[in-house]
Amino acid sequence: MQGPDGQRPSDAELLRRHVAGDAEAFGELFRRHRDRLWAVALRTACDPEEAADALQDAMISAFRRAADFRGESAVTTWLHRIVVNAALDRLRHQASRPATAGEQAFEALAAQGADPARATDARLDVDAALRILPPQQRAALVLVDMLGFPVAEAAAILGTAPGTVKSRCARARARLIPYLAHLRGNRPASESVSPSQGGDTYT
Amino acid sequence: MRWQPAHLDATVVAEFRAGLVTGRRGARIGAHLERCERCAALGGMLADVSALLAAVPAPAIPDVVARRLDSVLAAEAARSNDPERAGAAAGRKRRAGSGPAGRRGFRGIAVRVLAPAAAAAAVLGGAGYGISLLAGGQHGMTAASSAARAAASPRFASGSRREAALAGPGSLPVPAQRGSLPAFPVIASATDYRPATATAQLRAALSARVPAGRAASAALRACVSRVTGGVLPYRVETARYRGQPATVIFTRAGAGYRAWVVGPACSSVVYRTTLP
Repeated sequence: MQGPDGQRPSDAELLRRHVAGDAEAFGELFRRHRDRLWAVALRTACDPEEAADALQDAMISAFRRAADFRGESAVTTWLHRIVVNAALDRLRHQASRPATAGEQAFEALAAQGADPARATDARLDVDAALRILPPQQRAALVLVDMLGFPVAEAAAILGTAPGTVKSRCARARARLIPYLAHLRGNRPASESVSPSQGGDTYT
Repeated sequence: MRWQPAHLDATVVAEFRAGLVTGRRGARIGAHLERCERCAALGGMLADVSALLAAVPAPAIPDVVARRLDSVLAAEAARSNDPERAGAAAGRKRRAGSGPAGRRGFRGIAVRVLAPAAAAAAVLGGAGYGISLLAGGQHGMTAASSAARAAASPRFASGSRREAALAGPGSLPVPAQRGSLPAFPVIASATDYRPATATAQLRAALSARVPAGRAASAALRACVSRVTGGVLPYRVETARYRGQPATVIFTRAGAGYRAWVVGPACSSVVYRTTLP
Protein backbone atom coordinates (compact mmCIF):
# COMPACT_ATOMS: atom_id res chain seq x y z
CA MET A 1 0.00 0.00 0.00
CA GLN A 2 1.48 3.31 -1.04
CA GLY A 3 0.64 6.90 -0.44
CA PRO A 4 -0.23 9.43 -3.11
CA ASP A 5 3.43 10.27 -3.62
CA GLY A 6 4.44 6.62 -3.97
CA GLN A 7 5.92 6.51 -0.49
CA ARG A 8 4.88 4.04 2.14
CA PRO A 9 2.12 5.70 4.16
CA SER A 10 2.87 6.54 7.76
CA ASP A 11 1.15 4.73 10.60
CA ALA A 12 -0.92 7.84 11.27
CA GLU A 13 -1.95 7.98 7.63
CA LEU A 14 -3.02 4.34 7.68
CA LEU A 15 -5.09 4.96 10.77
CA ARG A 16 -6.65 8.03 9.18
CA ARG A 17 -7.54 5.99 6.10
CA HIS A 18 -9.05 3.29 8.27
CA VAL A 19 -11.24 5.82 10.04
CA ALA A 20 -12.22 7.22 6.64
CA GLY A 21 -13.41 3.80 5.53
CA ASP A 22 -10.43 2.14 3.83
CA ALA A 23 -11.12 -1.53 4.51
CA GLU A 24 -7.50 -2.57 4.13
CA ALA A 25 -5.67 0.17 6.02
CA PHE A 26 -5.95 -1.30 9.49
CA GLY A 27 -4.84 -4.74 8.31
CA GLU A 28 -1.78 -3.11 6.78
CA LEU A 29 -1.07 -1.28 10.03
CA PHE A 30 -1.36 -4.52 11.97
CA ARG A 31 0.90 -6.44 9.59
CA ARG A 32 3.49 -3.70 9.90
CA HIS A 33 3.75 -4.07 13.67
CA ARG A 34 2.41 -7.51 14.43
CA ASP A 35 5.70 -9.15 15.43
CA ARG A 36 6.48 -6.51 18.01
CA LEU A 37 2.91 -6.45 19.28
CA TRP A 38 3.00 -10.22 19.56
CA ALA A 39 6.25 -10.07 21.51
CA VAL A 40 4.73 -7.65 23.99
CA ALA A 41 1.59 -9.77 24.38
CA LEU A 42 3.52 -13.01 24.77
CA ARG A 43 6.09 -11.68 27.23
CA THR A 44 3.45 -9.96 29.31
CA ALA A 45 0.93 -12.79 29.32
CA CYS A 46 3.58 -15.56 29.56
CA ASP A 47 1.28 -17.93 27.71
CA PRO A 48 0.89 -18.24 23.93
CA GLU A 49 -2.84 -18.86 24.00
CA GLU A 50 -3.51 -16.02 26.40
CA ALA A 51 -1.24 -13.83 24.31
CA ALA A 52 -3.11 -14.69 21.13
CA ASP A 53 -6.42 -13.92 22.79
CA ALA A 54 -5.07 -10.70 24.25
CA LEU A 55 -3.71 -9.62 20.88
CA GLN A 56 -7.04 -10.39 19.25
CA ASP A 57 -8.96 -8.48 21.92
CA ALA A 58 -6.57 -5.58 21.50
CA MET A 59 -6.73 -5.42 17.73
CA ILE A 60 -10.51 -5.56 17.68
CA SER A 61 -10.56 -2.81 20.27
CA ALA A 62 -8.09 -0.70 18.30
CA PHE A 63 -9.98 -1.32 15.07
CA ARG A 64 -13.19 -0.05 16.62
CA ARG A 65 -11.72 2.77 18.66
CA ALA A 66 -9.48 4.19 15.98
CA ALA A 67 -11.59 7.31 15.70
CA ASP A 68 -10.77 8.04 19.35
CA PHE A 69 -7.04 8.25 18.61
CA ARG A 70 -6.10 11.90 18.99
CA GLY A 71 -2.49 11.75 17.90
CA GLU A 72 -1.16 12.66 21.32
CA SER A 73 1.28 9.78 21.05
CA ALA A 74 2.73 7.72 18.24
CA VAL A 75 0.35 5.19 16.72
CA THR A 76 2.67 2.41 17.82
CA THR A 77 2.59 3.66 21.40
CA TRP A 78 -1.20 3.64 21.26
CA LEU A 79 -1.27 0.12 19.80
CA HIS A 80 1.20 -1.21 22.35
CA ARG A 81 -0.78 0.36 25.15
CA ILE A 82 -3.94 -1.42 24.05
CA VAL A 83 -2.06 -4.74 23.75
CA VAL A 84 -0.42 -4.44 27.17
CA ASN A 85 -3.72 -3.51 28.78
CA ALA A 86 -5.44 -6.45 27.11
CA ALA A 87 -2.74 -8.82 28.35
CA LEU A 88 -2.88 -7.42 31.88
CA ASP A 89 -6.68 -7.59 31.84
CA ARG A 90 -6.52 -11.25 30.95
CA LEU A 91 -4.04 -11.90 33.75
CA ARG A 92 -6.28 -10.10 36.21
CA HIS A 93 -9.22 -12.25 35.22
CA GLN A 94 -7.35 -15.50 35.51
CA ALA A 95 -8.92 -16.66 38.73
CA SER A 96 -7.50 -20.10 38.12
CA ARG A 97 -3.93 -18.86 38.26
CA PRO A 98 -3.00 -18.13 41.88
CA ALA A 99 -0.08 -15.93 42.80
CA THR A 100 2.15 -18.87 43.55
CA ALA A 101 1.65 -20.42 40.12
CA GLY A 102 4.52 -18.36 38.77
CA GLU A 103 6.94 -20.00 41.15
CA GLN A 104 5.55 -23.42 40.32
CA ALA A 105 5.80 -22.75 36.61
CA PHE A 106 9.39 -21.69 37.06
CA GLU A 107 10.24 -24.81 38.96
CA ALA A 108 8.57 -26.98 36.33
CA LEU A 109 10.28 -25.25 33.46
CA ALA A 110 13.59 -25.13 35.22
CA ALA A 111 13.40 -28.86 35.74
CA GLN A 112 12.76 -29.36 32.05
CA GLY A 113 15.27 -27.13 30.44
CA ALA A 114 16.94 -24.59 32.64
CA ASP A 115 19.50 -26.88 34.19
CA PRO A 116 22.76 -24.98 33.79
CA ALA A 117 24.65 -28.25 33.78
CA ARG A 118 23.02 -29.06 30.46
CA ALA A 119 23.07 -27.08 27.29
CA THR A 120 21.52 -23.85 28.43
CA ASP A 121 18.57 -22.45 26.62
CA ALA A 122 18.65 -18.85 27.68
CA ARG A 123 15.34 -18.08 26.09
CA LEU A 124 13.58 -20.81 28.02
CA ASP A 125 15.21 -19.70 31.24
CA VAL A 126 14.20 -16.12 30.68
CA ASP A 127 10.64 -17.13 29.80
CA ALA A 128 10.43 -19.12 33.01
CA ALA A 129 12.01 -16.43 35.14
CA LEU A 130 9.67 -13.74 33.82
CA ARG A 131 6.74 -15.71 35.20
CA ILE A 132 7.76 -15.10 38.76
CA LEU A 133 7.38 -11.35 38.39
CA PRO A 134 4.20 -9.49 39.25
CA PRO A 135 2.51 -8.60 35.95
CA GLN A 136 3.06 -4.84 36.24
CA GLN A 137 6.77 -5.31 36.90
CA ARG A 138 7.02 -7.80 34.07
CA ALA A 139 5.27 -5.49 31.62
CA ALA A 140 7.65 -2.65 32.45
CA LEU A 141 10.73 -4.85 32.21
CA VAL A 142 9.62 -6.40 28.93
CA LEU A 143 9.14 -2.98 27.35
CA VAL A 144 12.35 -1.42 28.63
CA ASP A 145 14.91 -4.22 28.85
CA MET A 146 13.63 -6.72 26.29
CA LEU A 147 12.11 -4.53 23.61
CA GLY A 148 14.27 -1.47 24.13
CA PHE A 149 11.59 1.16 24.63
CA PRO A 150 12.84 4.36 26.27
CA VAL A 151 11.48 4.75 29.79
CA ALA A 152 9.33 7.71 28.75
CA GLU A 153 7.64 5.73 25.98
CA ALA A 154 7.20 2.69 28.21
CA ALA A 155 5.54 5.01 30.71
CA ALA A 156 3.19 6.29 28.03
CA ILE A 157 2.35 2.72 27.02
CA LEU A 158 1.72 1.70 30.62
CA GLY A 159 -0.13 4.89 31.46
CA THR A 160 2.06 5.66 34.42
CA ALA A 161 4.90 7.96 35.45
CA PRO A 162 8.46 7.38 34.23
CA GLY A 163 9.60 7.06 37.83
CA THR A 164 7.13 4.23 38.37
CA VAL A 165 8.48 2.44 35.32
CA LYS A 166 12.04 2.84 36.61
CA SER A 167 11.03 1.51 40.00
CA ARG A 168 9.18 -1.47 38.57
CA CYS A 169 12.13 -2.32 36.33
CA ALA A 170 14.61 -1.98 39.20
CA ARG A 171 12.61 -4.26 41.45
CA ALA A 172 12.08 -6.76 38.66
CA ARG A 173 15.79 -6.90 37.81
CA ALA A 174 16.68 -7.43 41.46
CA ARG A 175 14.13 -10.19 41.71
CA LEU A 176 15.45 -11.98 38.64
CA ILE A 177 19.09 -12.13 39.76
CA PRO A 178 18.91 -15.54 41.43
CA TYR A 179 16.94 -16.99 38.55
CA LEU A 180 19.30 -15.85 35.84
CA ALA A 181 22.64 -15.89 37.64
CA HIS A 182 23.62 -19.18 36.04
CA LEU A 183 23.48 -17.58 32.60
CA ARG A 184 26.15 -14.99 33.40
CA GLY A 185 28.94 -15.82 30.99
CA ASN A 186 30.83 -18.94 32.04
CA ARG A 187 30.54 -18.18 35.67
CA PRO A 188 28.76 -21.01 37.47
CA ALA A 189 25.79 -20.03 39.54
CA SER A 190 27.41 -21.46 42.68
CA GLU A 191 30.17 -18.87 42.49
CA SER A 192 27.83 -15.97 42.14
CA VAL A 193 27.06 -13.82 45.07
CA SER A 194 23.49 -14.32 46.06
CA PRO A 195 21.68 -11.09 46.74
CA SER A 196 19.93 -12.69 49.66
CA GLN A 197 23.10 -14.07 51.26
CA GLY A 198 25.21 -12.40 53.85
CA GLY A 199 24.61 -10.30 56.87
CA ASP A 200 22.40 -7.36 57.49
CA THR A 201 20.95 -5.44 54.66
CA TYR A 202 21.57 -1.79 54.36
CA THR A 203 18.54 0.01 53.20
CA MET B 1 30.48 -11.07 68.62
CA ARG B 2 32.39 -10.33 65.46
CA TRP B 3 31.32 -7.17 63.69
CA GLN B 4 29.73 -7.77 60.26
CA PRO B 5 29.51 -5.00 57.73
CA ALA B 6 26.02 -4.27 56.50
CA HIS B 7 25.33 -5.11 52.88
CA LEU B 8 22.92 -3.62 50.45
CA ASP B 9 19.78 -5.29 49.30
CA ALA B 10 19.65 -6.00 45.54
CA THR B 11 16.51 -3.88 45.19
CA VAL B 12 18.24 -0.93 46.81
CA VAL B 13 21.18 -1.26 44.46
CA ALA B 14 18.80 -1.55 41.51
CA GLU B 15 16.90 1.55 42.54
CA PHE B 16 20.14 3.44 43.13
CA ARG B 17 21.37 2.47 39.67
CA ALA B 18 18.06 3.62 38.21
CA GLY B 19 18.56 7.06 39.76
CA LEU B 20 15.68 6.62 42.16
CA VAL B 21 17.68 7.09 45.35
CA THR B 22 19.15 10.54 45.78
CA GLY B 23 20.10 12.98 48.54
CA ARG B 24 21.88 11.87 51.68
CA ARG B 25 20.63 8.32 51.37
CA GLY B 26 21.89 8.13 47.81
CA ALA B 27 25.28 9.48 48.85
CA ARG B 28 25.49 6.92 51.63
CA ILE B 29 24.68 4.06 49.25
CA GLY B 30 27.14 5.34 46.66
CA ALA B 31 29.89 5.49 49.26
CA HIS B 32 29.12 1.98 50.38
CA LEU B 33 29.26 0.63 46.84
CA GLU B 34 32.70 2.18 46.38
CA ARG B 35 34.18 0.35 49.31
CA CYS B 36 32.19 -2.93 49.31
CA GLU B 37 33.17 -5.34 46.56
CA ARG B 38 30.33 -7.67 47.36
CA CYS B 39 27.63 -5.04 47.00
CA ALA B 40 29.32 -3.59 43.94
CA ALA B 41 29.06 -7.05 42.39
CA LEU B 42 25.29 -6.75 42.69
CA GLY B 43 25.48 -3.85 40.28
CA GLY B 44 27.22 -6.13 37.79
CA MET B 45 24.53 -8.76 38.28
CA LEU B 46 21.80 -6.24 37.64
CA ALA B 47 23.52 -5.09 34.48
CA ASP B 48 23.83 -8.72 33.42
CA VAL B 49 20.11 -9.29 33.93
CA SER B 50 19.33 -6.38 31.62
CA ALA B 51 21.87 -7.61 29.09
CA LEU B 52 20.46 -11.14 29.16
CA LEU B 53 16.94 -9.88 28.62
CA ALA B 54 18.02 -7.64 25.76
CA ALA B 55 19.83 -10.55 24.09
CA VAL B 56 16.75 -12.75 23.90
CA PRO B 57 15.38 -12.34 20.39
CA ALA B 58 11.81 -11.12 20.13
CA PRO B 59 9.59 -13.98 18.96
CA ALA B 60 7.96 -13.59 15.57
CA ILE B 61 4.22 -13.97 15.56
CA PRO B 62 3.29 -17.59 14.76
CA ASP B 63 1.66 -18.08 11.38
CA VAL B 64 -1.45 -19.50 12.94
CA VAL B 65 -1.92 -16.43 15.12
CA ALA B 66 -1.19 -14.08 12.24
CA ARG B 67 -3.75 -15.84 10.07
CA ARG B 68 -6.29 -15.76 12.85
CA LEU B 69 -5.80 -12.04 13.32
CA ASP B 70 -6.00 -11.42 9.57
CA SER B 71 -9.26 -13.31 9.56
CA VAL B 72 -10.62 -11.42 12.55
CA LEU B 73 -9.70 -8.05 11.08
CA ALA B 74 -11.16 -9.00 7.71
CA ALA B 75 -14.37 -9.94 9.49
CA GLU B 76 -14.30 -6.61 11.31
CA ALA B 77 -13.86 -4.80 8.02
CA ALA B 78 -16.78 -6.72 6.52
CA ARG B 79 -18.87 -5.99 9.58
CA SER B 80 -18.08 -2.31 9.33
CA ASN B 81 -19.09 -2.37 5.69
CA ASP B 82 -22.43 -3.89 6.52
CA PRO B 83 -24.82 -0.95 6.41
CA GLU B 84 -27.36 -2.55 8.73
CA ARG B 85 -24.91 -3.38 11.46
CA ALA B 86 -22.94 -0.19 11.05
CA GLY B 87 -26.12 1.84 11.16
CA ALA B 88 -27.27 0.08 14.29
CA ALA B 89 -23.89 0.63 15.88
CA ALA B 90 -23.93 4.28 14.94
CA GLY B 91 -27.34 4.56 16.54
CA ARG B 92 -26.05 2.99 19.70
CA LYS B 93 -23.14 5.36 19.72
CA ARG B 94 -25.42 8.33 19.36
CA ARG B 95 -27.44 7.13 22.30
CA ALA B 96 -24.64 5.95 24.52
CA GLY B 97 -21.64 7.97 23.51
CA SER B 98 -18.24 6.38 23.20
CA GLY B 99 -17.81 3.84 25.94
CA PRO B 100 -14.91 1.79 27.10
CA ALA B 101 -13.62 -0.84 24.79
CA GLY B 102 -13.76 -4.47 25.65
CA ARG B 103 -16.00 -7.42 25.47
CA ARG B 104 -18.59 -5.67 27.53
CA GLY B 105 -19.43 -3.16 24.89
CA PHE B 106 -17.54 -2.08 21.85
CA ARG B 107 -18.97 1.02 20.32
CA GLY B 108 -18.16 3.54 17.70
CA ILE B 109 -18.22 1.52 14.54
CA ALA B 110 -17.75 3.84 11.62
CA VAL B 111 -19.97 3.57 8.59
CA ARG B 112 -17.72 2.53 5.78
CA VAL B 113 -17.85 3.67 2.21
CA LEU B 114 -19.24 0.84 0.16
CA ALA B 115 -17.48 -0.44 -2.91
CA PRO B 116 -19.10 0.78 -6.11
CA ALA B 117 -21.66 -1.75 -7.21
CA ALA B 118 -20.44 -1.82 -10.78
CA ALA B 119 -16.92 -2.63 -9.69
CA ALA B 120 -18.22 -5.36 -7.47
CA ALA B 121 -20.20 -6.86 -10.31
CA ALA B 122 -17.20 -6.86 -12.60
CA VAL B 123 -14.99 -8.36 -9.95
CA LEU B 124 -17.39 -11.11 -9.12
CA GLY B 125 -18.06 -11.96 -12.72
CA GLY B 126 -14.35 -12.10 -13.44
CA ALA B 127 -13.58 -14.11 -10.37
CA GLY B 128 -15.47 -17.07 -11.65
CA TYR B 129 -18.53 -17.06 -9.51
CA GLY B 130 -20.45 -18.32 -12.45
CA ILE B 131 -22.00 -21.23 -10.76
CA SER B 132 -23.05 -24.28 -12.61
CA LEU B 133 -25.15 -26.90 -11.07
CA LEU B 134 -23.70 -29.94 -9.47
CA ALA B 135 -26.75 -32.07 -9.05
CA GLY B 136 -29.85 -32.57 -11.15
CA GLY B 137 -30.65 -30.68 -14.31
CA GLN B 138 -31.57 -27.29 -12.86
CA HIS B 139 -29.38 -24.29 -13.13
CA GLY B 140 -28.29 -22.65 -9.96
CA MET B 141 -26.98 -19.13 -9.64
CA THR B 142 -25.30 -18.05 -12.86
CA ALA B 143 -22.45 -15.65 -13.31
CA ALA B 144 -24.82 -13.00 -14.54
CA SER B 145 -27.25 -13.46 -11.70
CA SER B 146 -24.53 -13.51 -9.09
CA ALA B 147 -23.05 -10.35 -10.52
CA ALA B 148 -26.44 -8.73 -10.59
CA ARG B 149 -27.01 -9.81 -7.05
CA ALA B 150 -23.67 -8.37 -6.09
CA ALA B 151 -24.57 -5.12 -7.74
CA ALA B 152 -27.83 -5.02 -5.85
CA SER B 153 -26.40 -6.07 -2.54
CA PRO B 154 -23.84 -3.88 -0.84
CA ARG B 155 -23.22 -6.58 1.72
CA PHE B 156 -22.25 -9.02 -0.99
CA ALA B 157 -19.97 -6.42 -2.50
CA SER B 158 -17.90 -5.89 0.59
CA GLY B 159 -14.44 -7.37 0.47
CA SER B 160 -14.79 -8.27 -3.17
CA ARG B 161 -11.30 -7.09 -4.05
CA ARG B 162 -9.83 -9.57 -1.66
CA GLU B 163 -11.94 -12.34 -3.09
CA ALA B 164 -10.92 -11.42 -6.59
CA ALA B 165 -7.27 -11.50 -5.62
CA LEU B 166 -7.46 -14.90 -4.06
CA ALA B 167 -10.09 -16.74 -6.04
CA GLY B 168 -8.98 -17.67 -9.51
CA PRO B 169 -11.18 -17.44 -12.56
CA GLY B 170 -12.61 -20.46 -14.26
CA SER B 171 -15.64 -22.58 -14.41
CA LEU B 172 -16.43 -25.55 -12.28
CA PRO B 173 -14.36 -28.63 -12.93
CA VAL B 174 -16.08 -31.25 -14.94
CA PRO B 175 -16.26 -34.31 -12.76
CA ALA B 176 -13.69 -36.75 -14.03
CA GLN B 177 -15.20 -39.54 -12.13
CA ARG B 178 -18.73 -39.99 -10.98
CA GLY B 179 -18.21 -42.91 -8.67
CA SER B 180 -18.62 -42.53 -4.95
CA LEU B 181 -15.48 -41.91 -2.89
CA PRO B 182 -14.23 -44.07 -0.05
CA ALA B 183 -15.44 -43.18 3.41
CA PHE B 184 -14.17 -39.96 4.94
CA PRO B 185 -15.22 -38.05 8.03
CA VAL B 186 -17.32 -34.90 8.03
CA ILE B 187 -16.69 -32.26 10.65
CA ALA B 188 -19.47 -30.09 12.01
CA SER B 189 -18.26 -26.49 11.97
CA ALA B 190 -19.98 -23.49 13.53
CA THR B 191 -18.40 -21.13 11.02
CA ASP B 192 -20.64 -18.89 8.97
CA TYR B 193 -18.55 -18.14 5.90
CA ARG B 194 -19.05 -14.72 4.39
CA PRO B 195 -18.10 -13.60 0.89
CA ALA B 196 -15.73 -10.91 2.12
CA THR B 197 -13.91 -13.10 4.57
CA ALA B 198 -14.30 -16.61 3.20
CA THR B 199 -10.68 -17.03 2.16
CA ALA B 200 -9.39 -15.96 5.54
CA GLN B 201 -11.99 -18.11 7.26
CA LEU B 202 -11.00 -21.10 5.14
CA ARG B 203 -7.36 -20.57 6.09
CA ALA B 204 -8.34 -20.34 9.73
CA ALA B 205 -10.36 -23.54 9.43
CA LEU B 206 -7.33 -25.37 8.07
CA SER B 207 -5.17 -24.26 10.94
CA ALA B 208 -7.71 -25.05 13.65
CA ARG B 209 -7.71 -28.25 15.57
CA VAL B 210 -9.70 -30.95 13.82
CA PRO B 211 -12.54 -32.24 15.98
CA ALA B 212 -13.89 -35.73 15.58
CA GLY B 213 -16.23 -36.12 12.64
CA ARG B 214 -18.94 -38.47 11.58
CA ALA B 215 -18.84 -40.66 8.51
CA ALA B 216 -20.00 -38.99 5.33
CA SER B 217 -23.23 -40.27 3.84
CA ALA B 218 -23.28 -41.81 0.39
CA ALA B 219 -25.04 -38.72 -0.96
CA LEU B 220 -22.38 -36.44 0.46
CA ARG B 221 -19.59 -38.65 -0.86
CA ALA B 222 -21.14 -38.40 -4.28
CA CYS B 223 -21.42 -34.65 -3.97
CA VAL B 224 -17.80 -34.29 -2.91
CA SER B 225 -16.73 -36.52 -5.76
CA ARG B 226 -18.55 -34.29 -8.23
CA VAL B 227 -16.93 -31.18 -6.84
CA THR B 228 -13.39 -32.49 -6.56
CA GLY B 229 -13.47 -34.48 -9.74
CA GLY B 230 -13.10 -37.72 -7.85
CA VAL B 231 -10.23 -36.57 -5.66
CA LEU B 232 -10.43 -37.76 -2.07
CA PRO B 233 -10.91 -34.68 0.09
CA TYR B 234 -8.41 -33.55 2.67
CA ARG B 235 -11.19 -32.31 4.88
CA VAL B 236 -14.94 -31.81 4.67
CA GLU B 237 -17.03 -29.62 6.94
CA THR B 238 -20.68 -28.89 7.31
CA ALA B 239 -20.95 -25.18 7.98
CA ARG B 240 -22.90 -22.15 6.83
CA TYR B 241 -22.36 -19.66 4.04
CA ARG B 242 -24.12 -16.33 4.37
CA GLY B 243 -26.32 -17.94 6.98
CA GLN B 244 -27.39 -20.85 4.81
CA PRO B 245 -26.32 -24.48 5.29
CA ALA B 246 -23.23 -25.29 3.25
CA THR B 247 -20.58 -27.93 2.79
CA VAL B 248 -16.93 -26.93 2.75
CA ILE B 249 -14.52 -29.19 0.91
CA PHE B 250 -10.74 -29.02 0.94
CA THR B 251 -8.36 -30.98 -1.26
CA ARG B 252 -4.60 -30.89 -1.38
CA ALA B 253 -3.17 -28.91 -4.27
CA GLY B 254 0.60 -29.06 -4.38
CA ALA B 255 1.88 -27.43 -1.23
CA GLY B 256 -1.49 -25.77 -0.63
CA TYR B 257 -5.16 -26.53 -0.80
CA ARG B 258 -8.20 -26.04 -2.96
CA ALA B 259 -11.41 -25.18 -1.20
CA TRP B 260 -15.01 -25.17 -2.31
CA VAL B 261 -18.09 -24.01 -0.49
CA VAL B 262 -21.14 -25.82 -1.75
CA GLY B 263 -24.70 -24.65 -1.17
CA PRO B 264 -27.55 -26.60 0.42
CA ALA B 265 -28.10 -30.13 -0.86
CA CYS B 266 -25.11 -29.89 -3.16
CA SER B 267 -27.02 -27.38 -5.25
CA SER B 268 -24.14 -25.19 -6.37
CA VAL B 269 -20.61 -24.10 -5.63
CA VAL B 270 -21.04 -20.72 -4.03
CA TYR B 271 -17.38 -20.02 -3.36
CA ARG B 272 -14.07 -21.52 -4.27
CA THR B 273 -10.47 -20.57 -3.99
CA THR B 274 -6.93 -21.87 -3.88
CA LEU B 275 -4.99 -21.48 -0.68
CA PRO B 276 -1.23 -21.42 -1.25
